[in-house]
This record gives sequence, C-alpha cells and structure tokens, in this order.
Amino acid sequence: MTVHASSAPPIAAGLHPGDPAPRSILEEVRSLYVHIPFCERKCEYCDFMSVAGTAGEHEYVAALRDEIRVLGRQLPGVRLETIFVGGGTPSLIDPELLASVASEIRCSFDVAPGAEITLEANPSSTTRERARAWLGAGFNRVSIGVQSLEPDILTFLGRVHDPGRALAAVEEVRAAGFESINCDLIYAVPALDDVRWQRTVQRIADVAPGHVSCYELTVEPGTPLHTAVRRGRVTTCDPEFALVQHRIAMETLAAAGYAQYEVSNFARPGRECRHNLAYWSNAYYVAAGVGAHGHIPAAAAPALGIAAEPGAVSTRYWHGRGIAAFVAAVRDGFVPIRGSEPVGAEMRERERIMLGLRLRSGVSLESDASLREARDLAAAGLLVLDGRVTRTTRDGEALLNAVTLRLTSGMFS
Amino acid sequence: MPLDLIRNFSIIAHIDHGKSTLADRLLEATGTVAQRDMQDQLLDQLDLERERGITIKAQAVRLSYPARDGLVYELNLIDTPGHVDFAYEVSRSLAACEGALLLVDASQGVEAQTLANAHQAIENDLEVVPVINKIDLPSADPDLVRREITEVVGLDASDALLTSAREGIGITEVLEAVVARIPPPRGQPEAPLKALVFDAKYDAYRGVVVYVRLFDGSLHAGTRVRMMATHKEFVVDEVGVFKPVMTPVHELACGEVGYLIASIKNVRDSKVGDTVTNATHPTSTPLPGYRAVTPMVFAGIFPVDTADVEDLKEALARLNLNDASLVYEPESSAALGFGFRCGFLGLLHMEIVQERLEREFSLSLLTTAPTVEYRVRLRSGEVITVDNPELLPDTSHIEAIEEPRCDATVLTPSAYVGAVMELCQERRGAFAGMEYQPGDRVQLSYDLPLGEIIHDFYDQLKSRSRGYASLDYELSGFREADLVKLDLVVGGQRVDALSMIVHRDRAREHGRKLTERLRKLIPRQLFEVPIQAAIGGKIIARETVSAMRKDVLAKCYGGDVTRKRKLLEKQREGKKRMKRVGNIEIPQEAFMAVLRMDED
Repeated sequence: MTVHASSAPPIAAGLHPGDPAPRSILEEVRSLYVHIPFCERKCEYCDFMSVAGTAGEHEYVAALRDEIRVLGRQLPGVRLETIFVGGGTPSLIDPELLASVASEIRCSFDVAPGAEITLEANPSSTTRERARAWLGAGFNRVSIGVQSLEPDILTFLGRVHDPGRALAAVEEVRAAGFESINCDLIYAVPALDDVRWQRTVQRIADVAPGHVSCYELTVEPGTPLHTAVRRGRVTTCDPEFALVQHRIAMETLAAAGYAQYEVSNFARPGRECRHNLAYWSNAYYVAAGVGAHGHIPAAAAPALGIAAEPGAVSTRYWHGRGIAAFVAAVRDGFVPIRGSEPVGAEMRERERIMLGLRLRSGVSLESDASLREARDLAAAGLLVLDGRVTRTTRDGEALLNAVTLRLTSGMFS
Repeated sequence: MPLDLIRNFSIIAHIDHGKSTLADRLLEATGTVAQRDMQDQLLDQLDLERERGITIKAQAVRLSYPARDGLVYELNLIDTPGHVDFAYEVSRSLAACEGALLLVDASQGVEAQTLANAHQAIENDLEVVPVINKIDLPSADPDLVRREITEVVGLDASDALLTSAREGIGITEVLEAVVARIPPPRGQPEAPLKALVFDAKYDAYRGVVVYVRLFDGSLHAGTRVRMMATHKEFVVDEVGVFKPVMTPVHELACGEVGYLIASIKNVRDSKVGDTVTNATHPTSTPLPGYRAVTPMVFAGIFPVDTADVEDLKEALARLNLNDASLVYEPESSAALGFGFRCGFLGLLHMEIVQERLEREFSLSLLTTAPTVEYRVRLRSGEVITVDNPELLPDTSHIEAIEEPRCDATVLTPSAYVGAVMELCQERRGAFAGMEYQPGDRVQLSYDLPLGEIIHDFYDQLKSRSRGYASLDYELSGFREADLVKLDLVVGGQRVDALSMIVHRDRAREHGRKLTERLRKLIPRQLFEVPIQAAIGGKIIARETVSAMRKDVLAKCYGGDVTRKRKLLEKQREGKKRMKRVGNIEIPQEAFMAVLRMDED
C-alpha cells in the first residue's frame, strides 16, 4: 500500500497529475461517487467523513468542482451510468450548490441517457421545494436516512429528526416527482426490540419507496458510540439477536413485494441501486471529494499521479479526511489523493468473491480450489452451487465472513 | 601424581538439596576458581541447568587441596545429573569414583532418588560419606536426618558431616573427609590403558571432548586409542583436565580423571560406559557395566509452521551432536504435516530437548502426547515393537500387546500414603510393599506401567502430596495388558496426532475427558463439529461443538472495499494458528490437551 505524504494546511498535499489516460482503457469505468461532508450534527455511530454545520460549503464545492473537472480531463472516455452524491448530508447544502456540482459532472463527463443519479438526503433537511430543486438539477433518485421510526431510537442514534419528519420527507420527495426513492433503516440498536423493529419496517413498506436498505448497527472505532461501548455506558446487541432482526426485515419486506438483492438491500422490481451494484460486482468507479474512495484500472492510475505498480490490475485510491487540506490541495493544482493501493490479480479475485457473495445473484468461482470449498459448504447447506456460480443460502448469508474466508483460503499462501 | 594423593568422588543429592552450591564452595575453598570469577552453579554450564537448578550434563573438575596432613591432594569431583531419566549416566559417573558424598537436606530428609543413587553407589563399592546440608535453616533436624540415613539408606551416619553450603559452614571438614575417608584409586600404571568414558560433549571447534577416568595405564597425545564397544580408533590430539576450564596436560596418569580430544566427529563414537584402550597394546577385558542406552519415551515433534521443518531437522542434528541419547527419525502426520518421531530417556529429557530446541534454535514446536514402546505379538507369530500409536497394526492381527513395567519407589510422609496409593491404583499399579521409616515417613513400592508414569504421574504425585512425595523407578520388564488404541475423530475425520494407546479399562474415561477438553478448545465453526473418541471404530464418547450462527452481516457501501478486505484478512491471520483437518480448524492447544489430561 502506498500512503502519500500528508501535511496539515495551509501547505497543500496531493499528487501531480500525469498525462490523461488513453480513452480505450476507461470504457469499463461507469460510476462516479461524490462526497459532501456537511451534516447538521455527527451521528453517534457514523464513521463517514463529515463535519457539523455548513461553514465553508462554498469553498468546498468550488474545490470539489475543480477536482471533478480534473478527473474528467484526466480520465477521458468515461461514460457514467451511475452517479451517487453522498455524505455527510448532501441535502443540507444550498440546492444551488448541488446543482452546480451536477452540472460540473455533466460538463466534465459523458453522462449516459437514463443514468441513475442519486442524492443522499436526511429528513431534517428535506422540503418539497428543495426536492423540486434537486430534481431540476438532474437528480433522479433520493436516498433518505430514515434510520428509525421510534423516537427514542432516533435520539439514541443522535439523529435530529423525529418519526413524523421522516415519513413526511418521503412524501415530499415523492410529491416533487422522484420515482426512485430509498429509505435507510438501522436495526440491532440497543432498546430496539423485535416488535418495534418489525413495526418500523412495516410502516416503511407501507409508505412504499422503491428501495429499502436495512443495516445492522455496527460499532466503528473513533465514533462516540464506540467510546460509550468501551466505557460500558452502552451494551451492544447479541449477534444472534441482530440476526433475528435481519430476518424480520427480510420477511416483512418480502411480504411487501421487496426482493432482497444484497445482504442489506431490498428493492421492488427494477429499483435496485445500480450504483451500489457496481461496488458489489467489483466494477470501477471514480471518486471525488474529501474522504471518497475510488477504484480505477491500474493503467489509468498515473493520470491521477499515482505511480504505476508492476502486477497491478486495478488501483484503489482514497482522499484524505480534512476539508481545509482538500481545498488547499486543489487550489495548488494537486489531485487531492492521499493514499492508494495497487490490486493484483489474486487480490482482485479475492475482492470479487468477497463482494459478489453479498449479492443474491451470487458470484462465479474461477478457481478449482474455491469450487472445491464451495462444494463442501453447499453440502453443509451454506451455499447453493449452480455450475460455477454460487450464492449463499439463508444460513450461509449469516456466516458471510467465514464463508468468504473459506472460499478464498486456497487461493493464497 | 602418586595414586595415594588422588581422590575421585561425586556428590549424590536430590534436586534442591544443595549439590551445586556445595560444589561451588569446594571450588572456592581450594582456590580452583578465584572469588571474582565465581558464579552460582559454576558446573552447570547450560542456561537451562542454571534456571531450573538441575544438572543435565555431567562435569568433572580437578581441585588441588593442601590437606591438614601437609600433603597436596588431587581431588577429582564428578558432578552428575540427579534425575532418574539419566540413571545410566549417573551409574557411569559413580563407576568413575571411589567415593561419594551423600548430600541430604537437613529439613527435607532422604528422598526417593537419593535413596536410589545411594544404593547404586554402595553397589559400586563406593565409600559413601553422609553430609547433612542446610543446617542453618530453622527447620533443620540433623538428628532425625541422621537416623533416616542410618535406617533408610543403611549407612552409618553417626559421623555424618554437618554443613551449610550456602553459609560456607563445614566446607573444610568435607574436604578433609574426602581425603581421609575416600580411598585412593587402585590401578596398574604399567598395564595397558583402560579408561572409562563417563560423558562426552561436542565442541564446535575441537570435535568431541571425551570425559575419561583412567583405571590402568596412562594416556598422552599421539596415542592411538580404541573405543572397545564401538570399535572405532582415533589418535589422541590432546589430553587435559578441567580446572574447571579445559587445561591441556602432558599426560593423564593411572587413577586420574580428565578429557581426551581425538578429532572425533560424533558423540556416538564415544559412548558413555565404553572403555578406551591403547589400540596397539589393548587390554584384554573392557571395564564392566557398558550398555547401550535406549530411549524409553517417544513423541512426535512438529514445527508449528510447516515451513520450519528443515530448521527443526538441523536443530535436532545439532542437539544430537551433544546428546547421543536423543534419537529421532522423520515422521509425517495428516494433521500436523512433517516432523520427527523422537525417543527420549524420560519425560524430563523430553522437556529439556523441546525447551532447548525452542530456545536455542528459536523454533515454535508442537509435541504430541508421549508414549512408551510396546511389544506387539502378532497372530503370525511375529513380535514387533511400536512406539507410535499410528503404527499399531489392526486389532485383527494382534495376538497380544505387552507394555513396559517399572519397579517404582515412592517416599512420602505418612499423611499422604492414602493419596499416593489411590494414585498408583488409578494408574494400574500393583502394590509390592510398604515400609515405615523414621520421621513418620513411608516407603511404598509399586509395580507400575511405564506408560502411566509418563502421563502426568509425577505432577500428580507432587500435587497430591503437597510436594512431599518423591519418586524413583526402574524398568523391570514387559507384561501383557489389555491395551487399545484410542482414536479421536473430529468432524468425521480421524486426527492421527491425537491417537493414543491406553488400557481398555481407562479408555472410556480418557475418551470422555479428551472429547470434553477438545470441545472447549475448538471454536465454533461453519459446521457443527462432532468430536468422538473411538476404539477400533466403536464410538465411546462424543461431544459437539455447535455451529457458528452469525459472522458479521456488516454493511458494505461507500466504496471503501480496502478496509473491508483488511478486516477479513485480519480474521484470516487468526486462522493461521489453526491446523486444518478436513473441514475443521483445530487450534494448536488442542494437540497439547492430551498431555494435560488430569488437570481438571
């Protein structure tokens, strides 16, 4: 792994871009992730890059647009099928700034007709007017951070909205004309019992967004929740308890016509998130903005100033987490990338299996060693094997990490 | 040096009774080692010996002592290992002497091993001088110990010396007693050379250094010598004495103790107990008592990391240069990969070898449960020996299995007689006798299977007698027993490294304990893991490790795949310390579990 030198502002740090990459190698790059790091407040559990308040949003967006422009110039020939503006809370910033980001993307990249363009929104910063503005800016999908419909759970999570606001936000977005809507929910929260969780999922299903994500609360290092757990103020859920809630979500949503297509994601037909599918199918994606992670063909890396590595098939890269440093780096003509990792063929295969196993459609196994392991696991009822394509069963999904380790164990020394 | 001025002696003592300290004081008092060069346990050169306070290799040192009679005597002190594992080495060291100091702790009294070694000295016609040590301790009871020596050992202890080696009390008296009471060597200086090999060590620069005691004749550089048991001949490069550093001398004379160096490449060519003679004028008869030492305890040693097998081979070869009693041959196990089947003199020897391999060669090792050598009579009439449960033929071919038995002696305070007898019965011992000794002590004699002794018997004896009981044993022969091979089947797969040979009556108990223990040691896996103990395919105990139900459903969005992959890799790292047998990952501790069966 290469971690490039970091330094605090005002001295900017980043990479000097090389020559633009040849168009021919970028045909498989079809996704773009853009990060907006502003939030009303930091949630207790969140470990994504964000800051409270919108101070500096103009400077940040200007730098972000500069970066998008540089990326478009250095990576010519990218035709975007999916764009995801996430955060943070993108809905929080001035809608005009969001529109300027969207138009910068259209100017810098070839955006395919019918491309999926998602905006992440929180109920507290959603209004019908704002939603109309987002639609006008070209967004066609909104992902709403509902998280819960139980007041005490929302408070515990550090969310600033109440259940009514969450449901209202869904209606506002829909009324503004969005046909593709996602609601994010969180389970396995202490004090959230199975009955209340089922009720939350049911009420969301009743509101009928096209897509629902149900994520297990995980305690990430560096979050206030982590500190609280470490100090014994919060007791986390038993893993099997979390599994029960996962299955409550699966059954409730299935009954409401949502198909599970990834471990934590459910959609009505045709409403799967194409952007996230790109991640899980180990596809490429360009990333812009503070804290964002990208994945590009290794041959394109030098165009962003990342040194070519022998044996690399693809390159993963990421931005630093400081807004001021990001802004300064872009101002000084750098590509504001802070770290990168060359991915060789073996590692790429491991990642492909790791990610692909998350999908209900499964993943094809290329090596005989993996296939042998898969047969054992199929015999134990953890996998279904169809030729070389395998997918987890209900039991296998609950053991995803262990199953992944098994399937990749023979591939590495 | 005239024979009259030579005294050859050793010190017999139980562990911790102060032998090394007394030796240190003798070296100091005779000026053999200057005060400033003095360090504790000077004769114990291995780190391991110092740390554990035990003697593993024999040592010899020449002291020059101006006695009260005005003459200067040459005293050769031969320091011997005290442990039962090294009984043969002890017997040869004793054979090199005319006398011995029997050192007994003034508060602990006579212990089983002291008794065994003292008897050996008496049988070798040695003059045994009782020394009661640690008289400075508040708990010292020299009168009781004196009675004990008289009645238990059968030695007149009325004139026993009283010392405190630690405090330097009675040291001169000890030296005077060595001169006055231990007879000088007898021998014929003009007769053909006849010298006893009582130890040998390998020196990386000089080759093998042979420790010898000359009974007849003399020896100097240039002499062509023959090892009478191995028939190997060598030309002597150097002879010398230990002061305690190796000091060359012109000649080793009749009755003296010293070393010879003769470009010998392998310690196997100069076996302990062998007789060295002059190749051109050989003696007609070798010294009595030579026998080839054979290992009694066997175990597989495997590197934890299978890639280290070559390093292990190299390390064993290096250790073997210095330790001829260690035998080994390559072995392969389905569960543990490639390693070596090793034979040891006993459990302590096994522990020492393993510890030295790990410490001196930085190896991380896995040792399978120790076993003894069985004699198997086949239906075909053939008799084979088996030292590895894996090699036991199918029961349908076996007529009978014979196991090695021991005459064991336990000395214990009478309060623990019940506990000791219970332990011996549990271990299939046959009671052979009980004698009351002074000081409220009891000497118990049992006929015990060696296979039971090597499985944690000593630790159990110590724990059930609060450390007071002591043990000595001697191989007495083989006897038929109803023995079976106990297999462990984990997840449907027999794990060869966990098999053991046990008595049928104890098999069920062993099986139950082992499966229980393994259930606690094997973590939950993707599958339910049945753990079974079986005899010839018949299951006699079963436990189950239930399957893991959940292993993180964590989210994976936001494109940070690197982190997710690293978390998974970390999980994989943990698994590296597991051995995969079939579908099951077994942690290393599980393989040790058999060694510590009686802990719970």
